[in-house]
Amino acid sequence: MISFITSICAAAIVYAVSILYAAIGEIFSQRAGIMNLGIEGIMLMGAMSGFMTVYHTENLLLAFLVTILVGLLLGLAFAFLTVTLQADQTVCGMAFLIFCSGLSGFLGKSVTGIASAVKFEPIPIPGLSSIPVIGEIFFQQDIFVYLMYLVIPLSIFYIYKTKAGLMLRALGENPASLDQAGINVFAMRYGYVMFACAMTTISGACISLSYTNFWNEGMTGGKGWIAFSLVAFSRWNPAYAVLGALLFGGISILGINMQVYLPGVPSQFYGMLPYAATVVALVITTGSFRKKHSEEPAALCQKYDREDR
Amino acid sequence: MKKKWISILLVVVMATAFFTGCSGSSEPKGDSEKGALDYSTIKIGEITSLVVNDGGWCQATHQSLLAAMKELGIPESNLVVIENVAEDQTSVANAYNALASEGVNLIIGASAGYATFLSDLAASNPDIVVAQQGDQVPNLIGYQIRNYEGMFLAGYASALMAESDKLGFAGSMSEASVRAAINGYALGAKFANPEAKVQLVWANSWYDVDLETQSAKTLINQGIKFMGMEASSPAIPQTCQANNAYCIGYNVDMHDLAPNAVLFSYMWNFAPIFKDILTATVDGTADSSKYYYEGGDCAQLSPFNDAIVPADIQEKVLSVKAALDRGEIQVFGGELKDNEGNILVADGEVMSDEDIKVQKFLVENVIGSWK
Repeated sequence: MISFITSICAAAIVYAVSILYAAIGEIFSQRAGIMNLGIEGIMLMGAMSGFMTVYHTENLLLAFLVTILVGLLLGLAFAFLTVTLQADQTVCGMAFLIFCSGLSGFLGKSVTGIASAVKFEPIPIPGLSSIPVIGEIFFQQDIFVYLMYLVIPLSIFYIYKTKAGLMLRALGENPASLDQAGINVFAMRYGYVMFACAMTTISGACISLSYTNFWNEGMTGGKGWIAFSLVAFSRWNPAYAVLGALLFGGISILGINMQVYLPGVPSQFYGMLPYAATVVALVITTGSFRKKHSEEPAALCQKYDREDR
Repeated sequence: MKKKWISILLVVVMATAFFTGCSGSSEPKGDSEKGALDYSTIKIGEITSLVVNDGGWCQATHQSLLAAMKELGIPESNLVVIENVAEDQTSVANAYNALASEGVNLIIGASAGYATFLSDLAASNPDIVVAQQGDQVPNLIGYQIRNYEGMFLAGYASALMAESDKLGFAGSMSEASVRAAINGYALGAKFANPEAKVQLVWANSWYDVDLETQSAKTLINQGIKFMGMEASSPAIPQTCQANNAYCIGYNVDMHDLAPNAVLFSYMWNFAPIFKDILTATVDGTADSSKYYYEGGDCAQLSPFNDAIVPADIQEKVLSVKAALDRGEIQVFGGELKDNEGNILVADGEVMSDEDIKVQKFLVENVIGSWK
């Protein structure tokens, strides 16, 4: 029984991490007032570019850096459209989704369906990994999981405890006040959008460089959308995003196991569970009966134009 | 004002790039060529639901078609492929019309989901022969492979290799050809070891790396070391490899994706069927009411993984294959019970092809349900 639980928990963490990079990135972007609906497509670009690099060079570090670079470039393009040109964020996000999904399939065609020679393997941490149960769950993972152990506290600390975090929160609530204080609102938005896209491509790389060692068109299978919905679910707080991702991952993974332990229930029921749980959790956390004011950044999706004032 | 002009310029550039990408179809060709067809002038269209190197179903279809063309001396340039065609009316009609304007003589539809749309289109244009994977549909040449024959050998080999009586199977969606694979695997295992049981786990998805990984892990956590699979991504073989378990690949030869885990692979080999359809198209005898339901060489096995499968087991598998091909072993021969205790086929009888095709059962030694 213990080994069953540790196996599920360890798998839930791996699942959660692969959506958390994108979700935490998007939290930063939305806190800066820019909503990016194209997460799924950008994840695919990350998965494809990382895999392509590792396939041709067998250099994982280079692949990781290329993934981040692709994310930054996509972020730059998205910020140009939404911040400089002030185009509608929903429309641009959808355009990015379709464009990036198609482009990743097109560019990745030559490496579809073949395995690369290397991938990020789990690295047991000496000492810690031999602790019973805990060690197996937390400390026999790969580098993406360990990095996430740092990203979570750092992102929470950044948003709530630093001056830059205070400015970020102000940027999403009232960019005009920041502008009056002499802060370059546009540069800040560029920065956060690029950061978010780089985080999103890392999510994609989790799938093609660590989870498996191959690339296939559309291989993220909707994870980008789960990351996107986690942002609202988390009320723009990375701590809750972690809980949501673990909940979703845990239930998805438990579903397959339950087919063996509770064979009487139709397997489709288990497939539905994570989504049903998400709806319930969304109602509980964001329902209007709970709080009078929404925690959504007030300037989210609003274009900021000095001449509008 | 400047922003407005930049926006307009961007839109124009993107639109131009988009439309240049879409052009390229040539003028429609008349029927006059039809009488003078020989193998070098036949033009073939292929419609696939994913890309032709998807590592799964579409790749198997495409490779088979190329093999059949090569055997008949048809140059590869005579093949026009349209990939990523969704299973809906507009997409299928678009692809069909594009191929028709390229002047193809034969269209191969590589997904059962195209059937109703292609049937209507084929009725409106009898000059183009249309062949379609799946059930028999009016106006289309239908083809399907008895995959359970190959999977019987997969189950047989797994049970010979395994020390325990318990084997696993990771399935995608509960659909007839998938259930045929599961039942074939379980019956093959039983043929080797009457006590063999097959634990079934569904991913309920045609392609999901996470769920397929988890399916394999769930089976491995049950102490299962050998499993069959019906899935398209390499996640299951790779999970087996990482956990010292073994599996039989599916769709295409999966050896290179997990060289320490794949015993061998079941491969769809449509080449003999395609060869026949191509020949009939060229000599003008193509009959749209024809239906192929083939086993034998069509339910092909990849070469054995010599590092894992001992030579004596390889020999045993090959001798059972020969017996299957000669008709001495009937996979769905009586007495056959389902896993709810009902008798499916009485002793001495053989299940009809109609019942084999719909597969509304899981055989006795499968642990799991199909509904």
